Amino acid sequence: MANLIEIEHLSKRYGKLRALDDVSLRVGAGRIVGLIGRNGAGKTTLLKAILGLTPYQGSVRVFGLEADRDRSALMSEICFIADTGVLPRWLRVDHAIDYVEGVHPRFNRQRAEEVLLGTQIPRRARIGELSKGMITQLHLALILAIDARLLVLDEPTLGLDLLYRRQFFDTLLNDYLDHERTILLATHQLEEVEHLLTDVLLIDEGRVALDTAIEELPQRFVQLSVAAGKGDAARALHPIYTREVLGRPVMLFENQPREALAGLGEVSTPRIADLFVAKLSATREPRPAPLPVGAVA
Amino acid sequence: MKVLYMQMRRELWEHRSLWIAPLLVGLLMLVAVATVGRIQFYQGPAPGPGPSPASANTPFAQMLLGWGIPFFLVSLIVIVVYLLDCLYGERRDRSILFWRSMPVTDTQTVLAKLLVGLLVVPLAAFLLSASTSLLASAILALRHHVLVNGQVAPLWDGATWVRVQLRVLYSLMVLMLWYAPYGAYLMLASVWARRSPYAWAFVPPVLIAMFENILLGTRYVGGVVERGLNNVLRLAFNLNRQFAYNLGDQLPTPRAVPNGRGVSAFLESPQMWVGLLAAVLMFLLVIRLRRYRDDS
Repeated sequence: MANLIEIEHLSKRYGKLRALDDVSLRVGAGRIVGLIGRNGAGKTTLLKAILGLTPYQGSVRVFGLEADRDRSALMSEICFIADTGVLPRWLRVDHAIDYVEGVHPRFNRQRAEEVLLGTQIPRRARIGELSKGMITQLHLALILAIDARLLVLDEPTLGLDLLYRRQFFDTLLNDYLDHERTILLATHQLEEVEHLLTDVLLIDEGRVALDTAIEELPQRFVQLSVAAGKGDAARALHPIYTREVLGRPVMLFENQPREALAGLGEVSTPRIADLFVAKLSATREPRPAPLPVGAVA
Repeated sequence: MKVLYMQMRRELWEHRSLWIAPLLVGLLMLVAVATVGRIQFYQGPAPGPGPSPASANTPFAQMLLGWGIPFFLVSLIVIVVYLLDCLYGERRDRSILFWRSMPVTDTQTVLAKLLVGLLVVPLAAFLLSASTSLLASAILALRHHVLVNGQVAPLWDGATWVRVQLRVLYSLMVLMLWYAPYGAYLMLASVWARRSPYAWAFVPPVLIAMFENILLGTRYVGGVVERGLNNVLRLAFNLNRQFAYNLGDQLPTPRAVPNGRGVSAFLESPQMWVGLLAAVLMFLLVIRLRRYRDDS
């Protein structure tokens, strides 16, 4: 199927700061793309550009529409959740449903009611009176009842505990399996979403540092836990990153055949979190812990 | 259209004081006329010569005009508070990210807010004032509690009621047109401010006027604002500027019913059209600014 998102030479500056620097990428229909990067790397700016919420240089075409110019037309096709804390606290639950039904042509009230049926959420309560978990459920019910082809999630589980995060992603995944959707998900909770993703997009300092499908990872990246005495031989193959685990060096290789490494120790496919650290450390001197995994921003 | 309607309902959900405050006023005033003692009017001899209609200055007409004042004063206050908060609050509580995720244009959003502030609430206040005045008249008539020069006055006169309400409606429309630029200005402060829209709304004009006065020795800016606030009274209602300071003396009794001169003077006043143009320009600017303002 055609690309849903086509970005060419996208740049965005905030004063002197280059938030995005000549980014080009494509997202195909039906993909679940994990957008990762450290704080301030440009993730949110990229999402905002895709949603037409910020002016930019270059071209961002979503469903063939220019995001900046055609924002309101786009928003009937896109669903967008920033973190779930943005539902207005003064709004009543039943009014929230009325509102979305009133303004969104693709909202299916019955579906929202179905999702809410399994919850304890009182219809006439104000959102400010609900627990964080309930607010998440409500937000999801509203969003999932919108038949949008593209779902954009920016740190959707920020500030939620493990239980609610799990619930959120489970609901999301079940819904994805039922509907034809494309999902773009920016998050720090890598380990919790890893199994969902079909693609990884790593942004660093406003540039694309890595853009790959998950199924290509094993061919492209190999992690080697180096056996005793093989350190020099392994280093000669130019690992992109080396760290120590329990006294043994663990190295990460890009585009090195597994067979070449097999004799040097235990070979495995790196986790996305390892790639994150490796890619970010390879491009510059290591900085104090970026804490990509399980980090609470 | 449906979206605009929904946006306006959403405004009334968020800013409940917009309808609670006028309702409360109506309730309190009805309770007051039902419980307090007698209302006494003392009518002197008809003031000055002139073809004022016989029924124009009756106690009933005066009562009706007075009846509307609390509704409009309270509405004015809640509208100012509303306009200053309407584009700032959504950024303060970050709910703008939620509103933005809906297929609603910034024009629709801003237009709904403007309509609520400058049309819906004033009209609702008018309807409330008119309908409660009927009730109040009935209550007062039943209680025989209005005395004119010591005599119980016959207190119902349908023709006067209609005339006064039309008069009030006319005044309201004039005021809405005249104060549209001030409303748009408050919205501009609201959409612009990263903190305290009140400071953004009120400090710059005061500072500019002060510096102008100190540096240039003139009072041009202050004069524009002041004339803007007051001239409508002189133009549209044939009242002098004293009106603003001396409400008691010169209540807009039906004597000042807009004759042709008041209406045409208002419609021909360049100041009104310049003000409307300024309102439109500020409105467009507000839409533009709302587009790229976010929670950061």
